[in-house]
Amino acid sequence: MAVTRIEENHWQATQGDTVVGGADVSRRPDGRLFLSVDAWHAAVFDRLAATAAADLGGPVHTVVDETDDELVAAWQRAGFTVGRREGEYVLPTDPAVTGLDPDLLPPGIEILPAGQAQEGPLRALDRVVRDEISATVGWHVMPAEVVPLPDGVTVLDPTRYAVATRAGEYLGFVRVAPVPRRPRIGLVAVRADQRGQGLGRALLAHALGALHRAGSASAWAEVHEANPAALALVERAGARRAGGNLELVRP
Amino acid sequence: MNRETLARTPKGLEIEGTVLECLRNANFKVELQNGHHVLAHISGKIRKNYIKILPFDRVLVELSPYDLTRGRILYRYRN
Repeated sequence: MAVTRIEENHWQATQGDTVVGGADVSRRPDGRLFLSVDAWHAAVFDRLAATAAADLGGPVHTVVDETDDELVAAWQRAGFTVGRREGEYVLPTDPAVTGLDPDLLPPGIEILPAGQAQEGPLRALDRVVRDEISATVGWHVMPAEVVPLPDGVTVLDPTRYAVATRAGEYLGFVRVAPVPRRPRIGLVAVRADQRGQGLGRALLAHALGALHRAGSASAWAEVHEANPAALALVERAGARRAGGNLELVRP
Repeated sequence: MNRETLARTPKGLEIEGTVLECLRNANFKVELQNGHHVLAHISGKIRKNYIKILPFDRVLVELSPYDLTRGRILYRYRN
């Protein structure tokens, strides 16, 4: 078997004229390298993972399903260890089940439904939240999709954001990806100086209530397992853990 | 074998199918266009990009050259 780096981001394993496996690497906007390997046999996987990781040097990451014991073991053979755990949760949307009343808001708080927020203040709030992440927990604990693009560009579609406001000031938002097969709560974020007042709960209640009225019985969300506040928020809403991902890293 | 030749080297048989069931260990039961059922796992690229596979999704499956009852989901079509 031969392993060859045929492109900057791609390795191929061949036996004779047959491709027996491949490896790909991509760089996330936060600069981290993520490697994937596909092979039908463990020996091929091991060669590809070892070759690609050695070629790349430095920290290399990958993602696996937490129940995929065989794949986790394969990456561990290549020197990878668990760096982060993310749970996947299915949330009911019916207020009678979640116990979240969308109309019960903290004093002085108003929720602007998706599509009604003004883009300028929404972008400013998005910037504040992103700066707080950069200055505190760091992007490595955040879902891949919320990481900023190169040059600090952020994708922001106002029609997907509901915003919590007080006297016209934007304080927090919830983003919902309206995927027909199962809508996804992409991000619940509240300004650091406004936490502890029930805004996250109110935003989640609003998002789930809107989905319920639109006919969706459930939504799903991913939660970093080292974030107790986020875990408590979804668990109190009756979320059921449906799976999870492990982010593995090789120093 | 040089790099250009390697890039053109044929891979396994690829065929469309529909996901019937999500199983344990990140495996999926997929019904192929020809009616056959295979046990498939997801490719590293799909996993790396957090693409969710659910029942009734249309997918592209690469069959294992060593066992035609096994496959790898390479792509999820937009339904």
